[in-house]
Amino acid sequence: MIKKPRMVQISEIVQESKDVKTFTFNINSILNNYSIQYQDPTPGEFLMVWVPGIDEIPMSLSGFNNNKDWSITVKKVGECTETLFNLEKSDLIGIRGPFGNGFQILEFNSNNQLNIVVGGGIGMAPLIPLISELIKLKIKIIVIEGVKSKEEIIFKKYLENYLIENETFYISTDDGSYGYKGFATDLFNSIIKKEIEKGNKINQVNSCGPEQMMYELFHICEKLNITFQGSLERMMRCGFGMCGLCVLDPSGIRVCREGPVLDSKILRTCTDFGKYNRDFSGKKNTI
Amino acid sequence: MSEFFKKIAEKPFILASGILGVSYSSMKRIFEGGAGAVVTKSIGPILREGYKNPSIIEILPGTFINSVGLANPGIDNFISEIKELKRNNITTIVSVFGDSIETYTQVAVKAQDAGADAIELNISCPHAEISIICQNKQLTYDYVAAVKKELKIPLIVKLSPNVTDIGEIALSAEKAGADAITAINTVNAMVIDIETQRPILSHGSGGLSGKAIHPIAVKKVFNLYKIVRIPIFGCGGVFTGEDAIEFFLAGASAVQIGSALYQDYNAITTIINIAKKYLEVHNYKSFSDIVGNAHGFETQEVPDF
Ligand SMILES: Cc1cc2nc3c(=O)[nH]c(=O)nc-3n(C[C@H](O)[C@H](O)[C@H](O)COP(=O)(O)OP(=O)(O)OC[C@H]3O[C@@H](n4cnc5c(N)ncnc54)[C@H](O)[C@@H]3O)c2cc1C
Ligand SMILES: Cc1cc2nc3c(=O)[nH]c(=O)nc-3n(C[C@H](O)[C@H](O)[C@H](O)COP(=O)(O)O)c2cc1C
Ligand code: FES
Repeated sequence: MIKKPRMVQISEIVQESKDVKTFTFNINSILNNYSIQYQDPTPGEFLMVWVPGIDEIPMSLSGFNNNKDWSITVKKVGECTETLFNLEKSDLIGIRGPFGNGFQILEFNSNNQLNIVVGGGIGMAPLIPLISELIKLKIKIIVIEGVKSKEEIIFKKYLENYLIENETFYISTDDGSYGYKGFATDLFNSIIKKEIEKGNKINQVNSCGPEQMMYELFHICEKLNITFQGSLERMMRCGFGMCGLCVLDPSGIRVCREGPVLDSKILRTCTDFGKYNRDFSGKKNTI
Repeated sequence: MSEFFKKIAEKPFILASGILGVSYSSMKRIFEGGAGAVVTKSIGPILREGYKNPSIIEILPGTFINSVGLANPGIDNFISEIKELKRNNITTIVSVFGDSIETYTQVAVKAQDAGADAIELNISCPHAEISIICQNKQLTYDYVAAVKKELKIPLIVKLSPNVTDIGEIALSAEKAGADAITAINTVNAMVIDIETQRPILSHGSGGLSGKAIHPIAVKKVFNLYKIVRIPIFGCGGVFTGEDAIEFFLAGASAVQIGSALYQDYNAITTIINIAKKYLEVHNYKSFSDIVGNAHGFETQEVPDF
């Protein structure tokens, strides 16, 4: 784990949509220069990304490989992400991490069982390495990407190329400009109905996206007795469990450490989930 | 002995301010892990965002630098957390700061009214304006005396190591009516990134905590034990039972634990159990039996240095 922010050079930038870019960098230089012990990241883990002079913000790993090329996929929403957005190849950014836990994959081998992955907008980022892992494990999956409108669709080409035989890829748009018209949760509801009718068993649902979406998915899964995992967002300072800013009530679960991926068992105990978060001062607000 | 100090004597391990102290729920976990009390994050009169990130970094194994900058929701928004702590029967020390004698007092009184068991006065955060108070014995006296006058509950004063003579500040706090002293707050420090050639913390400098400051804190407690009569809470770099025992031997009546607790919620239980084991092995009944034991030797220490 990289504990102190270390600078890496951006080696590749891919524009995914108008407001989303993926940045790739190789971390071998950091590992060698500072003799840092390396462990492969798990899908769902995140970095604290430092843009000197601006801010340091949490970003999920949207990719990593054996070459130790890591990537983050950034949506432009404010000052720090906008500055990141304007960086060019060879520019430096600071990283520390990876922090948090990743997605726990429930393994099973019967071929009428499946795993559904639901991403809302930029929430697709941490799901990309998860999808790769599921495919590697030959687990049958359905991927749902929900966005507001056609222009916001990301990773479409990548997923269409990747998801070939046992996998299905659906897109929903709120305005109906592409694919299913409506929310990802509605699409999810209609898909699981069909799958259950076909005699398939949904073993696990994995998700990242707006909390309201995950909250609804969680409740649908609770009714149907399906294991759910969602990657949550909370304000973060330390990213490793010290400051307490990202704590969920009343269990004291730290999103940066016991999370960001939390499963049904934990989510059942979190009255904050879907309802409250904290701002940078620590003040609790309604979501 | 007041009710509060009885509770501390029974369980002399306290959560330090600013670590997992934003929400009642994380403080509850640490209390349930065996702490005798918890100190909340320092709370001021109004909402304060604090400094931007990077603001907390691990720079050496177990050693951290932070410049959180007194981020807090403001006392009025924090009352609900104090009430929730008390509803859960948690012995609660509210850490308080302000920008004047009046605001310090206001916040302390509001915390007292909300049910706090004690107040810890933070006059020593090294990366905020308030640190000028702990560097001046007269200011220390004025602030402590003013707040003390309005309180029915015990007042603890938290001191900084970043001064020429921590002893004279401690004496000043004692004279002004402090019921106990916490030593120490973080040590003024800086870390520079050599690639960009700039300080890493957004604020520039910050406060060092964790393993590296433990021997510094032990020395401060050792010195203070010789000169003040009120109880001392030793704070700085307690990661193991051994670290805690050192503090008692130097003269602390209780220890505060901060940085070490990031690991997991059981960290405090492990520290306490190992410290208790020491008592058992060495045939002591309680921690109070070993307070100050390191002073029974001839050394070439000059008290004030
Ligand atoms: C575990 C985790 C993983 C994330 N992964 C991604 C990702 O892969 N891609 C992506 O585009 N975004 C991701 N985010 C969200 C991202 O961190 C915010 O969009 C970013 O911090 C915004 O910063 P800004 O300065 O551009 O905007 P600002 O205007 O400063 O903030 C906009 C909003 O971003 C959030 N935010 C700001 N600072 C922080 C902080 N220190 N910690 C948490 N949230 C903050 C708040 O909700 C804030 O209201 C992730 C967040 C978390 C907690
Ligand atoms: C992230 C962080 C935040 C802190 N915030 C406060 C604070 O708000 N008020 C305060 O009095 N001390 C604060 N401190 C100082 C600690 O309470 C403690 O004095 C110091 O960290 C030394 O103890 P430790 O080594 O056990 O952490 C903070 C320390 C850290 C690491
Ligand atoms: S961000 Fe500091 S505890 Fe989670």
